[in-house]
Amino acid sequence: MTATIPDDTTGPDQSPDDALGATEPPLVVSPAGWAFRVAAMAFLAWLVLLYPSNVLSPFSVPASDANRMSEAVVFAIIGLSLNVLIGYAGQVSLGHQAFVGIGAFTSAYVVTDMTQEVVLGVIVAAIIGGIQALLLGLVSLRLSGLYFALVTLVYGVMAQQSIFAIEAFTGGTAGNDAPRPTGFESDYRYYYFCLIGLLAVLFVDWRLIKTKAGRALLALRENPRVAQTWGINTKSYTLVAFVTAGLFAGLAGGLLAHRDLRVVANPFDFNLALIFVLMTTVGGLRNRLGVVLGSMFFAFLRNGYLIEKLPGAEPVLDFIDLSPEFAPLVIGPVLLLLTLTLLPGGFGQLAKPFTQWLGGGRFRWVPADKEVMITDVRA
Amino acid sequence: MLFAISGTDIFQSLVIGVVNGAVYALIALGLVLVYRSSGIFNFAQAEFGTIAVYGTWFAFANWSLPYPLAAVFGIVCGVVASLLTERFVIRPLSQGPKVTLLVATAGTALLAIGVAFWRTGDNALKFLDPLTPANGVSVLGVQVSGQRLLTLLLLIVAVIGLTLFFRSPYGLAVLAASQDADASALVGLNVTRISMMVWGISGLLGATAGILLQGGNSFTPGAITGLALIPGFTAAVIGGLTSLPGAVTGGMIIGMLESFGRLSTFDFIPGASSVSVFVVLLVVLLIKPEGLLGGRTA
Amino acid sequence: MSAPEPIQSDEHTTVLETRDVSIRFGGVQALRDVNLRVDQWEICGIIGPNGAGKTTLFNCITGFYEPTSGRVRFRGQDVTDLEVHQRADLGMGRTFQNVGLVKGSTVGENLKSAQHLEVRYGAFAGMFGSPKTFEVEQHTTERARAILDLIDLGHLWDTRVQGLPYGIQKRLEIAAVLATDPDLLLLDEPGSGLGPEEADALGDFLLQIREDFRLTIVMIDHHVPLVTRVSDYMYCLNFGETLCEGQPNDVRNHPEVVKAYLGEDPDAKPGSAEFAAQGV
Repeated sequence: MTATIPDDTTGPDQSPDDALGATEPPLVVSPAGWAFRVAAMAFLAWLVLLYPSNVLSPFSVPASDANRMSEAVVFAIIGLSLNVLIGYAGQVSLGHQAFVGIGAFTSAYVVTDMTQEVVLGVIVAAIIGGIQALLLGLVSLRLSGLYFALVTLVYGVMAQQSIFAIEAFTGGTAGNDAPRPTGFESDYRYYYFCLIGLLAVLFVDWRLIKTKAGRALLALRENPRVAQTWGINTKSYTLVAFVTAGLFAGLAGGLLAHRDLRVVANPFDFNLALIFVLMTTVGGLRNRLGVVLGSMFFAFLRNGYLIEKLPGAEPVLDFIDLSPEFAPLVIGPVLLLLTLTLLPGGFGQLAKPFTQWLGGGRFRWVPADKEVMITDVRA
Repeated sequence: MLFAISGTDIFQSLVIGVVNGAVYALIALGLVLVYRSSGIFNFAQAEFGTIAVYGTWFAFANWSLPYPLAAVFGIVCGVVASLLTERFVIRPLSQGPKVTLLVATAGTALLAIGVAFWRTGDNALKFLDPLTPANGVSVLGVQVSGQRLLTLLLLIVAVIGLTLFFRSPYGLAVLAASQDADASALVGLNVTRISMMVWGISGLLGATAGILLQGGNSFTPGAITGLALIPGFTAAVIGGLTSLPGAVTGGMIIGMLESFGRLSTFDFIPGASSVSVFVVLLVVLLIKPEGLLGGRTA
Repeated sequence: MSAPEPIQSDEHTTVLETRDVSIRFGGVQALRDVNLRVDQWEICGIIGPNGAGKTTLFNCITGFYEPTSGRVRFRGQDVTDLEVHQRADLGMGRTFQNVGLVKGSTVGENLKSAQHLEVRYGAFAGMFGSPKTFEVEQHTTERARAILDLIDLGHLWDTRVQGLPYGIQKRLEIAAVLATDPDLLLLDEPGSGLGPEEADALGDFLLQIREDFRLTIVMIDHHVPLVTRVSDYMYCLNFGETLCEGQPNDVRNHPEVVKAYLGEDPDAKPGSAEFAAQGV
C-alpha cells in the first residue's frame, strides 16, 4: 500500500496557478492548419538548405554573404559549446577565444604543414580542444565555484600572447594557410561543410541531454547535494562538460580556419570571448534553438553587417549618432543585461510560441520557468 | 652564462614591478572587497577605472577644470558607475546563480566600453595629462615619477583604511551580511545599504587606480580593463580572494613577473610575461588552492 | 539489487555504525562522541529538540561534513574518508529536510537522474550515441515509470517538480531515493508538514517499503508518535550528545527526554505546542 496524501496538502512550494489537473484539452489541428505548418517547415528548410547557395531561389546571394552564413553556423557551434558549460554545468569560460583559435591553428597545421585531409584536421582540432579543457579543468576543479572562469581567462590571454606567437605552429603574425576540403572549395559549398559540423554537434548535444551525463549535469548544477546523494560525482561530470565544450570549440575553430582560408591570431582576443558568452546567454541557456539563433544573430551583427542589410536600421542608428561599426558593442551588452534581468529564456523564449505551433500546438506565449537554485546547506 | 641580466636591469624591473604591482593591487583590493562581501567576481571593476579616466579627461579638456578637480570629478564618475551597477545589475540578480552575476558584470564592462566608443566615435583615442611632472625622484638609479609614488602611497592608505574598515561596525556588518543576508536583515542590518557601501568603496578603488595608471598616457575605451583587469584578478586569486594583504602581495608578484618577463633575456619565450603569470597562477592553485594568504574569512 | 546479499546466518549484521563522532564548527561543538548502531532491516529513529544535531549527524554519516574526530562504518567498511557519491555507490540513500529533488526538472527526469548508478555506460558513449545506450535508456525510463506508478503518481511524469504540493514532493523524494537502490535509507524529517492521518499513512508506507525493498532505515523526525510507532530502536539527541537510547517507548518516556522537550508532551498531537512550533 502507499501513503495516500491528499493533493491539497499545502506547502511552501505551492502556488495557486500551478494547481494539478488544470490542463486544457489538446488542440485538434485542422487539415488546413497542418498545411500551414508543413508549408512553414518547408520554407524554413529552404531557407537553411537551399537559399544560401541560390538553389530553387529567386534571390541571388553573393558569395560573400554565403561566407557570412558559414561564419554564423560556426558561431552556432561555439554557442552550443558554451551552452554545455554555462547552461548545463553552470560554469563559464572566458578564454573560449583561445580554444577556438588553437583549434583553427591546429587544423591549419595538420592540413598545411602535415598535408593531411581537412576532415582529419578538424577532428584533431576538436580533440586538442578537449585536451585543453581537460587539463584546465583538472587544475581549477580542485576549487569550488568560479575558478574555472578565472583560469580560462588567464589562459586565454596567455594563449593570445604566447601560443599564437609560436612561429612553428602558427606561422607568426603572417598566419598559416587553411585550404578548403576537396569538393567544398567555393563559399557556397563550404557552407554545407559547416552545416554538417553543426548537425554533428547538435546530435551530440541532443544525446548528451538524453543520457546519463546530461541528467547528471542538470542535477548537479541546480542542486549539487542531491546530485551527490544520487551517486553523481559532481567533479567528474563537470569535467565531462568542460571536455565536451572544448571538443565543440576546437571543431568550430577548425571550421573557421578553412572558411577564412588563412588563420591569423589577431581576431582571437578577449573581446571575442566576451561576445561568445554574450551570444550564448542572449540566445537562451539550455535552449538549443535559442542558442543557435542568438549565436547567428551576433555573428551577423559583427562589423555592422546586419545593420547594413536591415532596412530601416541605419536611419535609427544615425539618429542616435551610433555608427554601425560600434553598434554591436552597444547592442550586445544591452541585450545581455535585458535578457538576464527581464527575459532569462532569451531568444529561445521568444521562439517558443512558433516552435510550439509548428509541432501542432497553439501559437502563444509560454512564460519562462523560474530558475531554481539551491545553495542552502540543509537542502 | 645563459641569462645575461645586468644589475641595472634587475633594479629597473624591480622598481617597475612594484609600481605596476601597486595598481594591480588597488584593482585586486576592489575585487576582494566585493568578493568577500557577496561572493561575486566583478568583471567591471577595471572599467570603473576607465570611466574615471574619461571623466577626468572630459572635465579637464571640455570644462577646463583645474586638474585636481577634474580628477575628483572622474573619480565621482567611477563611483557613480559602480553604484549604478549595484542598483540595476547586481541587485535584481542577487538571488540568481553566481555564474549569471559573473556574466552580468562582464556585460556591464562591455556596455561601458560600447557607450564610450559610441560617444567618442572614431577619435576614441585620448590623452590624459600626467598627474605630476614627469621627473620625480631616482630610486635605485631608476626615475620614478611623483604619480607613481602617489600610487604607492594611496595603496598603503587603502590597505590601512580597509583593514580599519573591516574592524569597524560597518565592516563587521558587511561580513555578517556576507555570511547570511537574511539573518542580517532580521537583526536589523540594512543589507541594501551595506551592498551599496561595498560597491561604492570598490568603485572608488577602481576609479583611483585607473587615473593613477593612465595619467600621462593615451587611452581608448576599455583601456584599464585591457591593462589591469586580468593582472588584478590573478593577483586577487593568488592572494587568496578574501585577504587584503594577499591582494597586495599578489599584485606585487604579478607586477614583478611581468616586468622581469619583459627582459630581453627571455625573448626566446614568446609572451614570457603572460606565460609566467599563467604558470604561477596554476602552481599556486595546485599547491595552495586557497591562495597564499587566503583561508578563513576573518 | 546492486549490493551483495547480506549474510543469511547472522540476522543482526550491523549496517551502520558511528564511533565517537564529534564535530566542531568554529567554537560550537555540534556533535560530541555520538555512537550509533543500526542493524540490518531495522528502523532506527532519532529524535531530539531543534538544534540537537540530528541533521548534522546525517551530514557526517553521508559525507557532507567531515567529523572532527570519530569514524563512520557502513556494512563493515570504514567510510569516513569517502566522498558523498562514493557512499551512495555503496548503498546509502538519503532525503533532505527541504525536499531533495531537482525542482527545475520534471518528475520523470528526476526519477531517471536518481538511477545514475544503475545506468552502466560511460558519459561519452551516451553523448556519441552508442547503440547500447538507447537500450539502457529505455530500461531506465521503464524502471522510473514503474517506481512512479508504485507511489500512485504516474500521471505526474511530465510535470515540473517546482510548483507541486509539498506533500507530493516529499513522496517523490522518497521514490527518487528508492530509485538509487539503496540498502540504507536515511530520512530527514519525512513527516514534516503532514497532518495526523497523513503521518499514519507515512508510517505504514515506511514499514511497507522496508519489506519490499529490504531496507534498513534511519529516520529523524519531530513527530515523536510516528517515530515511536515505526522504530525498532530509538536515540534521543540533545545539544549534540546522545541523551539516551533504547526501546522506543522507553526512550519516549525517559524523564531526561521529557525534560529535553521542555515539558512538552512527548505524545504531541496536532494542535499541541510542538506542532504549532513547526508552523503546521
